[in-house]
Amino acid sequence: MPLPLYYYLSITAVNILMSWALYLPYRVAHLHFLTVANMAISGYTAGYLVMSLHVPFGWALVVGFALGGLIGWAVSIFIGDAPTFAVVIVGFTFIFITRAVIQNLPAVGGPMGMFGLPNIGGSAASHRWIILGILYALVILVGWLIHRFDNSRLGRAASAVFVDADLAASLGINRKRLGMLLQTASCTIAGGTGVLYGFIYKSFHLDFFTFALVGFFMIVIFVGGYATQWGAAVAAPILYGVPLFFPPEIQSWRIVIYGALLILVLVLKPEGFITPRFVRSIETFLSGDRKKRNITLKEVV
Amino acid sequence: MQVFVAQLINGLSLGSIYVLLVTGFNLLLLVAMIIHFSYPQVVVFSMYIIWVVLQLTGNNLFLGIAAGVVSSICLNLLSAPLFQKVMRKRGEVDINSTMVLSLGIGMIITDVLSHTFNKGLPVAFPDQLASVTPLLRVGLISVQVGQVWSLGVGFVAVSAIFLILYRTRPGRAFRAIAEDPNGARLVGIPILRTGLASYALSGVLGGVTAVLLAMVLGSASPGLGEQVAHKVLAVSIIAGLGNLAGGLVVGLALGVLEAIVQGYISGTWSNAIAFVILLIVILARPRGLFGSKL
Amino acid sequence: MKKLIGVLALVLFATTLGFGQAKVVAEEWQIPFLNCLTGPIAAIGEFLEWGAEYAAQEINASGGIAGVPVKVIPVDTALDPQKGSVEMARIVKDGLVAMGPVPEPVIMAAMPIAVEAGMMSMTATTSLEYAQKFFPWTVSFLPPTEERLATIVAAWGKEFPDMKKVVQFIEPYGPWPGMADGHVKGLQGIGISVLPPVEVPTDAVTFGPLVVKALEEKPDGIILVCNAEKAAKIIKELKSRGWKKMNHILVFSSADDPQLYATGGTDLNGVQVYNYINLDISNPRWNAFKAAFAKDHKGMAPFSLSPNYYDALYMIKEAIEKTGVTGDPSKLAEERKKIADYCANVKNFHGLLFNWDMKDGIPTNKPNFIFQIQDGKKKLVEEVR
Repeated sequence: MPLPLYYYLSITAVNILMSWALYLPYRVAHLHFLTVANMAISGYTAGYLVMSLHVPFGWALVVGFALGGLIGWAVSIFIGDAPTFAVVIVGFTFIFITRAVIQNLPAVGGPMGMFGLPNIGGSAASHRWIILGILYALVILVGWLIHRFDNSRLGRAASAVFVDADLAASLGINRKRLGMLLQTASCTIAGGTGVLYGFIYKSFHLDFFTFALVGFFMIVIFVGGYATQWGAAVAAPILYGVPLFFPPEIQSWRIVIYGALLILVLVLKPEGFITPRFVRSIETFLSGDRKKRNITLKEVV
Repeated sequence: MQVFVAQLINGLSLGSIYVLLVTGFNLLLLVAMIIHFSYPQVVVFSMYIIWVVLQLTGNNLFLGIAAGVVSSICLNLLSAPLFQKVMRKRGEVDINSTMVLSLGIGMIITDVLSHTFNKGLPVAFPDQLASVTPLLRVGLISVQVGQVWSLGVGFVAVSAIFLILYRTRPGRAFRAIAEDPNGARLVGIPILRTGLASYALSGVLGGVTAVLLAMVLGSASPGLGEQVAHKVLAVSIIAGLGNLAGGLVVGLALGVLEAIVQGYISGTWSNAIAFVILLIVILARPRGLFGSKL
Repeated sequence: MKKLIGVLALVLFATTLGFGQAKVVAEEWQIPFLNCLTGPIAAIGEFLEWGAEYAAQEINASGGIAGVPVKVIPVDTALDPQKGSVEMARIVKDGLVAMGPVPEPVIMAAMPIAVEAGMMSMTATTSLEYAQKFFPWTVSFLPPTEERLATIVAAWGKEFPDMKKVVQFIEPYGPWPGMADGHVKGLQGIGISVLPPVEVPTDAVTFGPLVVKALEEKPDGIILVCNAEKAAKIIKELKSRGWKKMNHILVFSSADDPQLYATGGTDLNGVQVYNYINLDISNPRWNAFKAAFAKDHKGMAPFSLSPNYYDALYMIKEAIEKTGVTGDPSKLAEERKKIADYCANVKNFHGLLFNWDMKDGIPTNKPNFIFQIQDGKKKLVEEVR
């Protein structure tokens, strides 16, 4: 496989997974930035396990997922049903704490970072295939789980909470448990993804996990569409990949273009490009029902 | 004791920066129901405009300050229709839409500043505006002109905004159109004119804040807004959204806390410690220490 | 006899031909430069880019590399490891050699790709601590930190016999804490006691608390190991609190960049800074470089890292010409190795400002200088070897 394609595909998978990690809590209107801190915590932990303690990568990855989930669950006990503002502050807090801890920990390289993570599978080629395989297996698994969630009672409950939290509570929806579930799931995904992110680069550096990354994932969700998982799945590869082909003069204005795109989408199409209605139309079009309902491609688009 | 007093003054100086920014942030919340996460970036943009005008006019302070205020007003007025469009329900704070929109605005401002002004390098303000010569110095205790102004204006701004919003007709009109536009229209409040006036008021405060930051900090860089934006949001939430007096108290307290931690414990842990304390407060009192005014 | 001489001459001529430059296949040497042209350090990235482009123009004006023109291809990584890695992956496909990446987070993400592909990418502005993780597929333009810095700081300390206690302001970024350790070694070596350091938060906006903390210990000297903008602000804060002996403040080399001077202005007068490049030397190449830089940058003088990628391109030129690299795609792996091996142990390389040797990728005899700042310009105080 061409190397640029490997990096594009693997980083795109990371972006999809992390956008989904933000998408899940946002189903109950929580902007859960703790996920980026989870990436760093689990990533550095796994890197330390592999480099210093010679733990096999598979186990380190499992630890990464578990650690992310544990942190997410522990924090969600307090903020499972907290106002959005509190959840935002929690995220910022953990990002600051994580940076401070890592900066002061020589065992994980401190401010220099962690170098020379080994190849998994013995060779560079096998490393790439394994990482890519794990990433896309995760994309499929997580995507399927989110799809199941979205189409379940829990998913409908989350939608109700998003629209009107108080009304949802009066209908008997346990906001706290729902919030805890989503936050724990989101942090679990983020933890494992953080491990894989570092192993793509074979190194870890604090500046891999910054507020700018949070901003990028937010753009993916809001431009792609925050009401359905497909928004992130479609927007992540496009927003990451298309600028790579811009001429240098336009690439240098990439951030301005992202910002302008975000504003335009919020103003003109607040739900994002991929809306639930659009997804239902596609599903109907692709299924045999379209003939019965006389739905044409034009109607779908 | 001298060291403690010096650190206290440092903390109040830092806190006054937060107070100024949080007051503008809260003002936008009260008059427009928007969470303008990137309000600090708007202020930094005004700082750059001040710098440009000072460069072009041979350090004419009056023109520089006027340009800063005008640019802040213009930016606010330009962004007003965008915010109004994205809000799902008028009369309620839609944190998600407005915060995300302001994120986009902030990204554009920061990148434009790093592309176009002074080749992205920091800009330093002249001595007439940002002198390092202190007003008073006793041992380690040092008080600068900018610090006195920013603290003083911070108090005045909070009081003035409070009085305007809660004690004057225009202020009540601002709040009315923010809380219930339809109701405001019914009682004859001109929505467009009043709305624009409210954004302009916030712009004036933003411009004044830009001048004071220039005096206190002495320089500006493209990333300055992002560095403080998280703290401004945190202060507002901890104090209670829209709570002007609360913002004053918590802003100063955060500044003092950071100064004490940096001075007595560790610089690299100051943010983490400050945010942990803020986190504990918000978990204990989700509506803020002093209660939300929305 | 004549026939014998004729045969001998023919044999000699034929032998010489065998050692001559093999025919260069490349029509143009394209050297990608992974740089930070947008984002917070875009200004510095532009200065580095300028140096490389200027070198390319000079080289082409004098006939190119082995008779073939060279082109620097700017590749903006925007300080984004995601972008840096994809761009490096593109480059290693058929690139012969590259320059950069800049700065450290992108180096971490992108250099493993170059290492795996066996392609040299010259990280000419990072510390040895970063570069050596990727040897032999890069070289360091900076000598070993601890011994070099200990010597420099000791020389600074010796200037001022009244200096008994020094405090350092340290920002926890990359190799900077390690550099601070090098300073400690140097100071302690000449009997100066080193006070507990003052840690500078990465997002610090005001520096009053940190300065008060430092001054409380009553230091005689101060070393600033933080980014340039912060260094300038700390100096201003020190001045406002009555610090008078400006030459008892030493700024470390990584803060010696345009942000320092843009932020500090005349408040920096008297402050000393160490670096390994003396911009005041005079030689025809450097004088021409300075003049051209000033012309393109509104009279500004080049900053200390400006020559690095100029030198990097010339080193690549020398490597290609001296090792007979042809640019033949079928010999890519072999020619990449030739360039890397040559650069790692180049002898008496004629840099823009001075000549130096490399030994296993580490420069061995680069000079170090201490300067004093006056009105935005640096005056040489001493050269330290």
